[in-house]
Amino acid sequence: MSSAPSGDRPRGRIASFILDDHRYVLLGTSVVALAGMLLSSQPRPSMSFLANVFTVELAMYYALAAWLVVSAVALVFKLTHWRTYAETAPFAKPAVCRALRYASYAMWAITLVLVVDRVVMGVASAWSAAMAAESRPADDMLQSMCYILWNGRDTFATGLATTIELAVFGTVFAFFLALLLVFCRIQTVDRPDNDFVRFLKVVGSGFAKVYSTVVRGTPMMVQAMIIYFGVFGVLRGTDLTTTQINTIWSAFVAGLVTITLNSTAYMMEVLRGGIESVDAGQMEAARSLGLSQWQAMRKVVFPQGIKYAIPGLSNELIINIKDSSVLSVIGTFDLMFANTTVSGIYYQQFQTSLIVTVVYLILTLLASWLLGRFARHFDVTPEPFGSTSDQMVKVEESVEAVPARDGENHRRGWGQGR
Amino acid sequence: MTDNTASAPAAEPMVRIEGLRKSFGSLEVLRDINMTVTPGGVVTIIGASGSGKSTLLRCINLLETPDAGHVWFHGADLAAEHVDVNRLREKIGMVFQGFNLFNNMNVLDNCTLAPVTLKKMRKDEAERVAMEHLDAVGLADFARANVANLSGGQKQRVAIARALCMQPDLMLFDEPTSALDPEIVGEVLEVMRGLARDGMTMVVVTHEMAFAKTVSDRVVFMDKGVIAEEGAPAQIFGAPKHPRTREFLARYLED
Repeated sequence: MSSAPSGDRPRGRIASFILDDHRYVLLGTSVVALAGMLLSSQPRPSMSFLANVFTVELAMYYALAAWLVVSAVALVFKLTHWRTYAETAPFAKPAVCRALRYASYAMWAITLVLVVDRVVMGVASAWSAAMAAESRPADDMLQSMCYILWNGRDTFATGLATTIELAVFGTVFAFFLALLLVFCRIQTVDRPDNDFVRFLKVVGSGFAKVYSTVVRGTPMMVQAMIIYFGVFGVLRGTDLTTTQINTIWSAFVAGLVTITLNSTAYMMEVLRGGIESVDAGQMEAARSLGLSQWQAMRKVVFPQGIKYAIPGLSNELIINIKDSSVLSVIGTFDLMFANTTVSGIYYQQFQTSLIVTVVYLILTLLASWLLGRFARHFDVTPEPFGSTSDQMVKVEESVEAVPARDGENHRRGWGQGR
Repeated sequence: MTDNTASAPAAEPMVRIEGLRKSFGSLEVLRDINMTVTPGGVVTIIGASGSGKSTLLRCINLLETPDAGHVWFHGADLAAEHVDVNRLREKIGMVFQGFNLFNNMNVLDNCTLAPVTLKKMRKDEAERVAMEHLDAVGLADFARANVANLSGGQKQRVAIARALCMQPDLMLFDEPTSALDPEIVGEVLEVMRGLARDGMTMVVVTHEMAFAKTVSDRVVFMDKGVIAEEGAPAQIFGAPKHPRTREFLARYLED
């Protein structure tokens, strides 16, 4: 909790960089201006709107150049007046600082216009040219990629949908299986148990151990082969025809089973880690009141353990999005399979893979953003456990708790002059 | 021990420990412990760290499984194989050094969990009983509070109330004040004194010699896994017979 005396809310790092006067305005905006000038020197795409108003672009270009000149002068001044810069330089005066800040907004605006004109319009031109093209444009890479993406859109869409289905359903099924398996795994023989229950517990926990070792110790690609062809072979033993078998035991079903069984082992270990990180005293206290092992686990230990496990569990979804790509080896029509198919049509492995890379990246970023929101919704902030301290050591962790860091960052680093 | 049974039924011991042994690996923690606790009695176990006090206490409600010997509670042998230890634990409350309140519940739910789960008590009925016990330890206002927001002394008093909600016949205290600030120790000891006055049977492992002297009616001094000496507080603190007892108490009196 911040204890700012005034009602002034401290600004975030980015807001402070944009809205406050500071000494890095010249350097930071110079980089932007330079980028703008580079963009301006690029050839105009066919849909460029600045092509019609050439004088405007020329003025913008010189404005950017002027900024660089001013920055260069300031830099020279800085180098010559290293120690007394803050007192002697005209650039350090508050009024000049403010003027520079407003001017920097103009530089940003100019660069933004250039970005739209060159990059956005460039992609749009390439896209429209690719859609109109009879065959893949060979000389322009951007147009070529647009052509591949547009013409392979059905294949990519099928692959994308399959990848999402595999990852989402695989993770969800695996979670429930992992719950089941982790309860087998953590069973220990308890005094009131009769011999039959003891036998079951030993077998259950042993099975979970072996399962986890085998699954985590072998590549998923090999597991996919074993499951797909293994079950296929078993079904061949029945009176089903190959066509019927392919309908029942499709590459998608085999892939889903593989990813589920594989993820189960990892999620079980994550859950076990969460449960074991709960202080042993919690279990003892529950048992001392007379709760059975199962009751204590269900009401006390597990609700705490799963909180610790949530980050690891949600990570499994992201891992599954990526790892489902190995299932293309058994012919599961996922994004990786789409990649192989499309690049086989156009003989463009690199460009197609680049498209698929971007799609995978968008998927994982989206998933981690959603899971982050989900985790915050459940208020996952593991509390210090096993504390025997008499003081209340609960630390409120929030981003606003460290407002001093913004200012500090500007004070440190380049151009400190000391 | 056998002469106790000859007297009135009221003197029948609630807990009788016979030939108790416990080792952790090659380390012998308890070596042939024999001890009784009579109903309404308050037994304090004192001794140096590592002498087996806590292990002995934890053997009484079977948080540690004895290697050999018997722990009779109300005539049932807890150390026997396949005994329904959950049933018996309902009658034995325990308070830990580290409080061990359930972190995923508020104060009231900590107290009502066991009665609702095990005694099939209705939720509102269990809450009424819990409020009485919380009131008795002076924490009725904290019923809806988060466990994490309590001080150590408050936590330990909640832990006592939680144990009492099961209406136990016997209360075990495992160094209940060792994790507390010296200033806060008093409020917990006061609650324990009140319990003793109300006639609760208690076994207390403690380093609070003043408490052992004034509240308990029998003191057990443990040394290296055996009971070196036991007797009335006046005798143990006034005229200890065993040289180790004298040595141990002398070190406490120095402070």
